[in-house]
Formats: sequence, C-alpha cells, structure tokens
Amino acid sequence: MTNTESAHGMGVIIITIVFAMLLMMLPISDQFRPFRPEFVLMVLIYWVMALPCRVGVGSAWIVGVLMDALMGVTLGISALSYALVIFFTARFYLQLRQYPTWQQALIISMLVLVVHIVAMVMSSQTRHLYFWLPVLSSMMIWPINYALLRNIRRYFHVK
Amino acid sequence: MLLSILASIALFIIDSRSDYFFPFHSVLSTIVYPIQASASMPNDIASWMKGYFRDRKQLQEKNAVLEITNLLNHVRIQKMKALERENVSLRELLGSSFYLHERVLVAELLAIDLDPFSQQVIIDKGRRSGVFAGQPVLDATGVMGQVIEVTPFASRVILLVDPSHGIPVQLNRTGLRAVATGKGLAGILQLKHLPHNADVQKGDLLVTSGLGGLFPAGYPVGRIASIYLPQGEAFAEIIVNPAAKMDLSSEVLLVFPALRQQKTVKSYNLFR
Repeated sequence: MTNTESAHGMGVIIITIVFAMLLMMLPISDQFRPFRPEFVLMVLIYWVMALPCRVGVGSAWIVGVLMDALMGVTLGISALSYALVIFFTARFYLQLRQYPTWQQALIISMLVLVVHIVAMVMSSQTRHLYFWLPVLSSMMIWPINYALLRNIRRYFHVK
Repeated sequence: MLLSILASIALFIIDSRSDYFFPFHSVLSTIVYPIQASASMPNDIASWMKGYFRDRKQLQEKNAVLEITNLLNHVRIQKMKALERENVSLRELLGSSFYLHERVLVAELLAIDLDPFSQQVIIDKGRRSGVFAGQPVLDATGVMGQVIEVTPFASRVILLVDPSHGIPVQLNRTGLRAVATGKGLAGILQLKHLPHNADVQKGDLLVTSGLGGLFPAGYPVGRIASIYLPQGEAFAEIIVNPAAKMDLSSEVLLVFPALRQQKTVKSYNLFR
C-alpha cells in the first residue's frame, strides 16, 4: 500500500463522518426531531469495527469535540461519551464483527444509551422522556448504516 | 483512553466555568460553521425555488397587500413620532431619561437543528457586522433572545424559552416588575416568585423593563396565558406565551442600544 492510497482511504472516512454531521443538523419537522438517530456515533463505530488501526479513541475524541461545538452544548460532553464508547468498541471489535446484524443493533443501542447517560450526568438540565428515543431509532437504522458503509468501504478499497 | 477522559473533563469544567476558554470555543465554532452553513443549504435552495417559480398574479396580489400594510405602518409611525416627542418632554419634566434612536441590523437564521434540548439558533451575522455577546435579538412581533457567542461570520442566539434564560419584564397595565424564565421544550415562559395576590390578569401584556441594562425597555415579550394559584405554595404559577414567533421567524433584528456606539454595517434608524 502506497502513501497516496492510505491518504485516499482517510478522505473517505472523513467524508462519511462529515456527512453524518450534516444529517445530525438537517432541519426536520418537530414531531420527528426527538427520533433523530446518532448518525455520527454509528459511523464512528462502524469504522472502528472495520479498521481499528485507522480510527480510534483519539479520533473519536476529536469528532466529539467538533460535535459539541456544532450542537452548541458545553464542550467535552460528546467528546467524553464518544471516546468511552469507541474504547469499548475497539476492545471488543472482533466479537462484534462475528455477530449477526440484529445482534449488533442491540449492542449499538446499548452504546447509544451509554452516550446519553454520560450526557445526562454532565448536563444539569432536567430531561424529558424524549431524550431516550435516539436509543431506539439508532437501533433501527444500524442495519442500513452497516450495509451502506460496508459497500462504501469495499467500493473505495479503504483498508 | 485515560488521557481522553481527563482531557474531556478538563474541557468540560473550563468551558462551563466559561470566559477563560471563550477564544477556543469561538475558534471551534468558526471551524464548524461551514458544516452548519451547508446543512442549511437544502432549505435555502427550496425557498429560492419557491420565490423563483411564483407566478405573476400571486406577486401582484402580495405587492398590493404589502403596499397597504406599508401605508398603515407609515400612519402609525407618524403618530408614534408625536407620542415619542410627548413622552420625551414628559420624562424631561419628571427628570428621568428615555433612550431613543436604537439602531438595528437585520440577520437571517440558519435553517439547521441544534441540540433539541437547548433552545438556540445560529444567525448569519457575526463580529464582522459589529454583533457583540449579550446583544438583544428581536423579530417583528417581540423579543426573541440574546446573542451568547460571536464568531467572525455567525453568532449563536439563546431564545427566551431556553430554561437557562431569564429576562426582566414589566406588566404593561400595572407596571409590576418580574423575571420571565424559559421552560424549554414547551415553548412557553413562566413568571417565578410572584405572590398569590399580585395584580396579574390573563391576557396582560409583558414588556421589557430595561432593568439589567441588556434589553432596551418597552419591547413586547409576551402575554399572560394562564394563572394557577396552588394551595399551600408561596408563589403563583404564571405561564406566559412569548410574543415573538420563535419557530416561524426566518429573519431577526439585532438591536444596538443607543449608548453603545458600534461600527455598523447596513444598519439604520428605527425611528428616523
């Protein structure tokens, strides 16, 4: 693998993460807003599962800080929760790869739950029941996300 | 891992204790602004298309309606000028001051969703246009909020309905002063710490009192929607409907208080 190839692979990873950020900000109607899945986290989890040597806790932390700035919350909340979740994913990526997709989806929902618990502990506001809806919607979206990203990875030969 | 945990906690503590870290936060916000701007693009394109493909008849009708409202507004402003002059001379007699000639700047909202649990919006004017932190933001019908963070090209506005925001208000009918705080998701305000026997009625108009020095006095904040007097509690529960159309406005006015002369771009006088 030459140097240019690896740079190209990194570009694909960054583009998918930026696209996930756009999906997090895209205006949708108020009824559906609480259901918005954690796109950025799912993309990060996929890349860690597939290429644990390329994407790790450090990059998850950087993405988390950027997400905090994007969303306008106190810096450090997403950074900590993303780093934590990616740490666990990176530790158990071999098991995760073996599971069927629906079982992965269950584990993803647990990981999203971890992110939301961290966010709840760190931000002092009282939270509505709506706050937990992304846990469900992320679980539903995971199989699509997984298939899509796998095709992208194979198409662009990201290694 | 440990490093990133420590780094996040350090970031969190410094950022929530604010001001020390302000430059870094605004640098980050500037970095992510292109992403926010591009997320708002589909909406911008849609509204441009809507404007482009509107037929002539509709435009003519709309123009006629606008001309009539313009005429009406002009008549009102004339009356307003007379009232203003009268008010100033009365205040002079009383020996108190009245701020005139606030300058305004029009800004547009970016059509993007932020954290659904904090009520904030991003506008497309920043330090380059003279916007400053703490600046009051209005829309056509009332006070919307205030600027909390400024970057060169954009700024972040916290809305009145955010639970962490409070605004000093005054009942227009009685002059009673209170603080209206946000309640978050529901899009309403509440008046806290008013006793049961306070002279408040349903439908009363609340205006800014000008106390605190941040918001100019006399702009509408909202109307009393309901009053509940719980038995055995010290204070009444008073709910206020905000006057500003928080979710509908796409253009907002930034007010430059009269005492604070800033370099302004394309700003003009409200009451010529």
